[in-house]
Amino acid sequence: MTTLQDAPPRRRRQLAPYAFIAPFYVLYALFMVVPIGAAVYLSLTEWVGLGTPEFVGLRNFADLAGDTSFHKALGNSLVFVFVSVLIVVPAALLIAQALNTRGLRARDLFRVTFFLPMVISPIVIALVYTLVFDRQYGLLNSVLRALFGAGNTDWLGDPTMVKVSIGFVLLWRWVGYLTIFFLAALQAVPRERYEAAELDGAGLIRTFTAVTLPAIRPVTAFVVVTSFIGSAQLFDEVYLITGGGPGEETVTVAMFVYRAAFERQQFGYAAAAGLVLFVIVFGVSQILNRVLSIGRIS
Amino acid sequence: MSAVATARDRLPGAATPPPATGNRPRRRYSRTGRILLYVTLSALLLVFVAPMLWALSGSFKPRGDLFEYPPNLIPSPATLDNYRNLLDSQPFWSWFAISVLTAAAATAVAVFVCALAGFAFAKYRFAGKRLLFSVMFSSLSVPFAVILVPLFVLVVKSGLSNPWFALTVPWVAPAFGIFMMQQYIIQSIPDEILESARMDGASEFGIFLRVVLPLLRPSLGALAVWQFLQSYNSFMWPLVLISNTENYTLPLGLNILFKAEARQFDLVLPGAVLASVPTILVFLLLRKQLLEGLSAGAVKG
Repeated sequence: MTTLQDAPPRRRRQLAPYAFIAPFYVLYALFMVVPIGAAVYLSLTEWVGLGTPEFVGLRNFADLAGDTSFHKALGNSLVFVFVSVLIVVPAALLIAQALNTRGLRARDLFRVTFFLPMVISPIVIALVYTLVFDRQYGLLNSVLRALFGAGNTDWLGDPTMVKVSIGFVLLWRWVGYLTIFFLAALQAVPRERYEAAELDGAGLIRTFTAVTLPAIRPVTAFVVVTSFIGSAQLFDEVYLITGGGPGEETVTVAMFVYRAAFERQQFGYAAAAGLVLFVIVFGVSQILNRVLSIGRIS
Repeated sequence: MSAVATARDRLPGAATPPPATGNRPRRRYSRTGRILLYVTLSALLLVFVAPMLWALSGSFKPRGDLFEYPPNLIPSPATLDNYRNLLDSQPFWSWFAISVLTAAAATAVAVFVCALAGFAFAKYRFAGKRLLFSVMFSSLSVPFAVILVPLFVLVVKSGLSNPWFALTVPWVAPAFGIFMMQQYIIQSIPDEILESARMDGASEFGIFLRVVLPLLRPSLGALAVWQFLQSYNSFMWPLVLISNTENYTLPLGLNILFKAEARQFDLVLPGAVLASVPTILVFLLLRKQLLEGLSAGAVKG
């Protein structure tokens, strides 16, 4: 057998790329493909973590289909996906657009500060927002009381307000991160195109739809897919800030999986719920990738 | 160009028309528009930093003052007691060490694996490249929740639940890093350099080590910071994996204080500050590489 070292240079050059990507695929197989395979197996069993898993066919999936808690979790995750894609992403574009203003001073200060929440640990964020949203002593209600004399909203206890509050935390955490992608894209748009649009007498909105949007399409696609995937598996923020409450108002699918496996020891059922999330997220993002044509190599 | 614009902004009379040079576009924003822009951005800035400053200030307040009304940003009296109590009563440095060391190990492996694979995808033609790339890229859309349960079971069953090993595992092969490296290598490493190294008889791996890696330094830094933060801040995986309090990571340790019956804010707040200071410092020091490194791949891709 000839090793890479003995082979003639041409042959070595043909084999080298495979050797270079091999470590990734080995890790990929071990920590992604094998676990997903194991998830499929577990999802067909009933298992409390001890003894042998008992094969139950598709019963877990049938149970999920009739489990109102699971429906609730799917609905909640959907809400947070919509918040991310329909509010956070456009907000990031708006901020990027503002930061792209010619001659703007302190651009770096704004860009860096808006990004900061992304480098902070979720546990710290949870702590901070528990202090902010507390009904009696929270910073938010204190400020509202001081300014308007009315600050008695139960930000984390009211079924509707809690979604608004978590939605705000998502906005606060993600918007600066997404902004840097949009800003980089906007800065790459050739200035001549704006000048041409201006000469044609295009207004702000027309310029935006005719010049800006087409130019930043690839980045927009990337940002939309990234936020979709990120928000669909939301866990840390809700687990830490609300614990899923009040009731099950903020239990996400990822949290449903966690609870089933590690609070109720229903490993088979949890694996099945995880697979449902996987099929949805993977399927939708493959479709988005195809439609928006990203993730390909020439 | 931007210097000109800045100088113009400083002029007292805003109505002064900009010098009419041939290809410079007309000003698109009026003076009020500009003021409005700065006011909005500054208000946003306040919204972004206020919660963090609030936590920072709270960490220096005596326990009773934390929830005083009206709220006071400047702690008076300011005290270091909270920090002292935390460090005396909790194994804070042990949490910190475990978080930092496992994150560093995961980062080192990930950066190497990503740069190597990114190099292959950027500079070689090989059969199956297209398919292998999309397989790699599609792993970005696998939610961690599907892996959580089986990975936990596999790690425990195979006796690999040693925290030093298991904590690094989910972070060692990030597809995002490969994508980022591949984009960066295409943009910044010309084929000629590789060819001339080959002429000199360098092996392919030697080229990677001695030619490519040194040229990649800025983006390696960006990827390393990013990976480190992901692992250092990770919560869900350590939460299910670590049951022995001796092996707690920083987020888990803080979580215990946070979830305690009496919500020990006077201990969690200084802990949160101490946990965040290193990440914020590293981010501020490397902000340019990180922000540009992150966005470069996506923009040109």
